Amino acid sequence: MEQLLAALLQLFEPTHLAFLFAGTLLGLIVGILPGMGGTSGLALVLPFVFTMEPSHALAMMIGVLAPTTTSDTFPAVLMGVPGTAGSQATVMDGFPLSKKGMAARALSAAFSASLLGGIFGAFILSISIYYAIPIIMAFGFGEQFLLVVLALLMVGALTGDNLFKGIASCFLGLIIGSIGTAPITGDPRYTFNTLYLLEGVPLVVVGLGLFAIPEIVGLLDAKGSIAKSLNTKKGWFTGLKDVVKNWFLVLRCSTLGCLVGALPGLGGTVVDWIAYSHLKQTTKDTSQFGKGDIRGVIAPESANNAKEGGALIPTLIFGIPGSGNKVLLLGGFVLIGIEPGLDMVTTNLDLTYLMIWSLAIANILGAGICMGFSSQISKFTLVPYYILAPVMVCLIFFATFNINRDWYDFIGLLSFGIIGITFKNFGWSRPALLIGFFLSSKVELLSYQTQAVYGLSFLSRPVSVILIILCLATIVLLTKQKFDNNYRSDLIKGKLTQIYYIVILLCLPLSMIWFTSSLDYRANLFPISLSVIALSLLVFILIIKIADLKNLPFLNNTLMNFARSNIFEISGNFNNQLFYYLSFIGFLLMNFIFGFPIAAALFINIFILFHNRKAYVSSICISAVLMVILWSLSSLLTLQFPNGLIGLFIDLPWWLGGQLN
Amino acid sequence: MSLFSFVSIGNADVNFSGKTITWVVPFKEGGGTSRFARFIQPFLKKYLPGNPDVQIMHIPGGGAIKGSNYFEKNAKADGTFIFGCSTSVIVNVATGNPLVKYNLSEYRPVVLLPQNTHWFTRSDLAEPHDLSKIKERKLVLYALKTPASADLFHIWIYEKLGIKGAKPIPGLSSSGGYQAFLRGEIHLSSHGAANYVKKVKPEIEKGKVVDLMTLGIIGADGSVSRNPLAPNAPTFPEMYEKVNGKKLEGDDLEAYYAIGAAWSQASKAMMLPKDASDEIVKAYRDAAIKMTNDPEFKAKAVKALGPFPLIIGEEAGEIIKKAAVFSDTTKKQLNAALKKHKFTYRVQ
Repeated sequence: MEQLLAALLQLFEPTHLAFLFAGTLLGLIVGILPGMGGTSGLALVLPFVFTMEPSHALAMMIGVLAPTTTSDTFPAVLMGVPGTAGSQATVMDGFPLSKKGMAARALSAAFSASLLGGIFGAFILSISIYYAIPIIMAFGFGEQFLLVVLALLMVGALTGDNLFKGIASCFLGLIIGSIGTAPITGDPRYTFNTLYLLEGVPLVVVGLGLFAIPEIVGLLDAKGSIAKSLNTKKGWFTGLKDVVKNWFLVLRCSTLGCLVGALPGLGGTVVDWIAYSHLKQTTKDTSQFGKGDIRGVIAPESANNAKEGGALIPTLIFGIPGSGNKVLLLGGFVLIGIEPGLDMVTTNLDLTYLMIWSLAIANILGAGICMGFSSQISKFTLVPYYILAPVMVCLIFFATFNINRDWYDFIGLLSFGIIGITFKNFGWSRPALLIGFFLSSKVELLSYQTQAVYGLSFLSRPVSVILIILCLATIVLLTKQKFDNNYRSDLIKGKLTQIYYIVILLCLPLSMIWFTSSLDYRANLFPISLSVIALSLLVFILIIKIADLKNLPFLNNTLMNFARSNIFEISGNFNNQLFYYLSFIGFLLMNFIFGFPIAAALFINIFILFHNRKAYVSSICISAVLMVILWSLSSLLTLQFPNGLIGLFIDLPWWLGGQLN
Repeated sequence: MSLFSFVSIGNADVNFSGKTITWVVPFKEGGGTSRFARFIQPFLKKYLPGNPDVQIMHIPGGGAIKGSNYFEKNAKADGTFIFGCSTSVIVNVATGNPLVKYNLSEYRPVVLLPQNTHWFTRSDLAEPHDLSKIKERKLVLYALKTPASADLFHIWIYEKLGIKGAKPIPGLSSSGGYQAFLRGEIHLSSHGAANYVKKVKPEIEKGKVVDLMTLGIIGADGSVSRNPLAPNAPTFPEMYEKVNGKKLEGDDLEAYYAIGAAWSQASKAMMLPKDASDEIVKAYRDAAIKMTNDPEFKAKAVKALGPFPLIIGEEAGEIIKKAAVFSDTTKKQLNAALKKHKFTYRVQ
């Protein structure tokens, strides 16, 4: 209790508050940018946090995470596009309300519901921390192993559009995660004798590649999705009254959000839908749902903020990410030297409490800013994406380079970028891939450790049995709720591309088997087993896809129908997105030639002018401002910019990529 | 080389005024070597002639090899480049990692920061400072992150103490391993000084955990003294004598010195490139000595760096040579221990 209050006092020191505030602002912004969420936001700050003190870094990271699910309501209500994955359900009633001219009511109801949900989440988290020690002590290697495996199954089963594609995504992530030095024997696996891959693919590269790049490309593609008009003046009070009237709904959905958030691996991506369907099931009059019922905004918004507190529970005490963005939070922990587990509730308890308070205060700040400056903030949705996109790309490149200061990171970023784009378009699960990637080494080590200590007897330990039953039951229950079958195979074009895509995906497990087969069995057992499972899943999906394409009769029974549901995904303007993606490769080439600073300025100007010839004033101003920001960051971080080919011939000053000394 | 140093005696005034010194740290920000560098950084600026700016450049990756190779390739010998070294950088060289391109044993060390390892077990498994019950057990599990690191020395230590049931559990960091130890899943555990004080001492006071031994503090003359943090716990040589009935000597003693140098004495180090002139090395060593007398340093050092005094001077060079170049007999001993535990990894 003493530490709880001490942490609060510490947080109110000006520097802490400043970092928390900066993080909150960034979180609000990435929340507003449609599609960008906490994962991309954290990936952007991660390369900078290690220069800070741990407590500052934590305040900042939590600041980024907490308000994304508050501000994501702006695009959901005003544009009908979810700001993050957690506000998909908000669109259902939020957008119709806005079309009826009640945007302000929807927004204020959403913000206050978010606020209450967020604080509820922080409250539950602080209580669970209190009981964490016995839980941690009861979770040995075996229980942890089960927890990780079940987390992977859950995230795979529930975040994909199709159950099997989701689980396959998970296994592909696990395979990618097994690249690098084999933990048991020290053999290099799939590294092609390069130093770069020896420690595996960097987390930030995977996170930014999978999440940020596909969203930027997707929004460039959907040019029309900018809000047309803003009418957010009237109705704020009505929204507040709505929340007060529905206080019990807020409480129920917050509880639900917390619980689902605490299920390891699941977190953000499904919680809004669960809250929404809970609302539908418990309401008598459902006629207004989908047409603008304010409760349809309140339910998912209170749940998706409450889940942050819940998702921090497994993150802090087991190091198992509660959702995609917690993967990056854990990456940040490593950078500032914090190891999740027992330390978080004993020696580092002050930091844990600091995070809890940060969570609560960031929620209040976030909701406060959203309400107070709503008309200004909602203007963000008016900024054309061709202006935001190149700036985002430059920032992402900068953040990426700052992790390892390695050219290969750019190549890795763009490789995971194309994986992300294809995954998103073809209906594979990116969160499952990311969490699989992150947990891969943990799965491998825990399986060895469990085997060494317990053999198979761990399965009969009481906690294990409870875990297995609990998780399987959750999966069955949630799967039923999620995959209600309205898959229309006949509406989908370009199926052949998606079939060829599987063939490309098959290359990963096949080559993994090929390159690791000659190693010691303790180094290759794990990647080869994963590869075999992934191969079987992919071949199965391939068969279903071909059967769907040819409309073979054996698909027409209930069981097969389940496998068939969403086996193809509507891929609208995939080619269009590829075109934008290629422009990023162009940017990379410019980097090789000119070095980063010149290339960034050129790219921003070319990109903006390509879309709008008349915007040269803004393009020049924006690139100049960005340069100043990058230069100050570089001297802050003693970062030497990537030096291009021309740097070999001309002695450039440091601010153009020359030697730092 | 000798001609060079003769000439430079002529202008003995080393002055870094207006210059920037780049301290290459081959690890991520926030790690132990980074913290060591950041703690020393302001004192270096204060006491080096000309008060140069000191910037720390982190180049992590490839198990510290990337940054170390970078230093070997890019460092200027004029004193504007220094290197942050640690046990893992040394072990990469000593174990003959083929990717290593840096010749550490020729570097000119300025400051070494020693560390020491404590071994302990649960109080229901053994009496304090006594291995006999542990040796009787069929299975003695302990944590081992990877054999391609300083953890390799654990295998050798347990081998020499005749703990037949010793079986490493791979992939456990020392903190993860300690958690598993507290849960009762593994039997032997070890920690460095800082964590020993913070995490293990309280458990010892509660009576749940007992000290077994420490690696021991190796002096300049090769004598081994007890660790002041656990003055009652025997050192490894004492334990060796008690268990084997003979003094630690010969090949075993040589291996112990090598391991002790890499693991304990040169746990963290600040080094100049091999071509740095004697004047520059001297300027740095003088600055380091002035630093240790600084009242602010004295006030903060124990908390930030641990209880062991820094090693400065010629002695440091000898330790690095011992740590970075393992003799064939030492390598043979380590490989035999590795083979016995079915590791494929070998010291080259």
